[in-house]
Amino acid sequence: MIINEIIEELKLNQLSGEKNSMKTVDGVYICDLLSWVMANGSKGDIWITVQTHLNIIAVASLLEMPMIIVPESIEVEEETLAKADEENIIVCTSELDSFTLACKLNEMGM
Amino acid sequence: MKELSMHILDIAQNSVHADSKLVEIEICENIEKNIFEIRIKDDGKGMDEETLKKVTDPFYTSRTTRKVGLGIPMLKSAAENCDGYFSMKSEVGKGTELTATFRYDHIDRAPLGNIVDTVVTVVISDINIDFIYRHNVDDRCFELDTREIKEVLGDVPLNNIDVICWIKDHVKEGLEKIKQ
Repeated sequence: MIINEIIEELKLNQLSGEKNSMKTVDGVYICDLLSWVMANGSKGDIWITVQTHLNIIAVASLLEMPMIIVPESIEVEEETLAKADEENIIVCTSELDSFTLACKLNEMGM
Repeated sequence: MKELSMHILDIAQNSVHADSKLVEIEICENIEKNIFEIRIKDDGKGMDEETLKKVTDPFYTSRTTRKVGLGIPMLKSAAENCDGYFSMKSEVGKGTELTATFRYDHIDRAPLGNIVDTVVTVVISDINIDFIYRHNVDDRCFELDTREIKEVLGDVPLNNIDVICWIKDHVKEGLEKIKQ
């Protein structure tokens, strides 16, 4: 599924990475324990996490996950977003919680 | 990491790979003061100030060799997420000392986990290195010093299967005593 379509459909607030991205994602992974994500996340996943520390960008870039969604309008640190821009990882926030985001992504065919 | 012992295993490996002769692992559970502290100290090659500043940056660590990995940044954020703090001191040629402190009863503080297997894994990971494992629970203390064990063993290597089993039981019993 194309990232830009997801951002528009879910009305996400994009904070970093290229605008109108035509990159695609293949799946969704939800977990807040970084070491667990490192072991079990997959390339091409959207990652939903409440963590906003710089370390999430390191994990996403290591696993080649192109997109992170931070739920419940949690504020993301400037340092994290600057690095996300550098690594071209799309970080978005949503007012929805992780479960609702997952349901909506599922409805969209993920 | 789901357990703090996993962090200890990860960080101790850094010391093992830093040409250390003696590695000290200390855990302090001070329930009265509500503090859980992990301290790992080695006498290895150490780091200069410039490198020391970079090791808590995941992009320094994960982008060069995988030797340091995300281990240090993750332990730092784990401590800071639990009203704790993280500090590292190092001197080239002298060694490195790392301290991570957590609020003992913080809801996000991971449990210690299987420290017995962690300690055994660490002490036999390189039998040419000596290890001290010190575990304090309030005013009670358990200590394992591989130098003392090696002296008793003489020519028998530390990674002899019977020795490993003995170390495991010894640590297990020692911890049960101080946890009472």
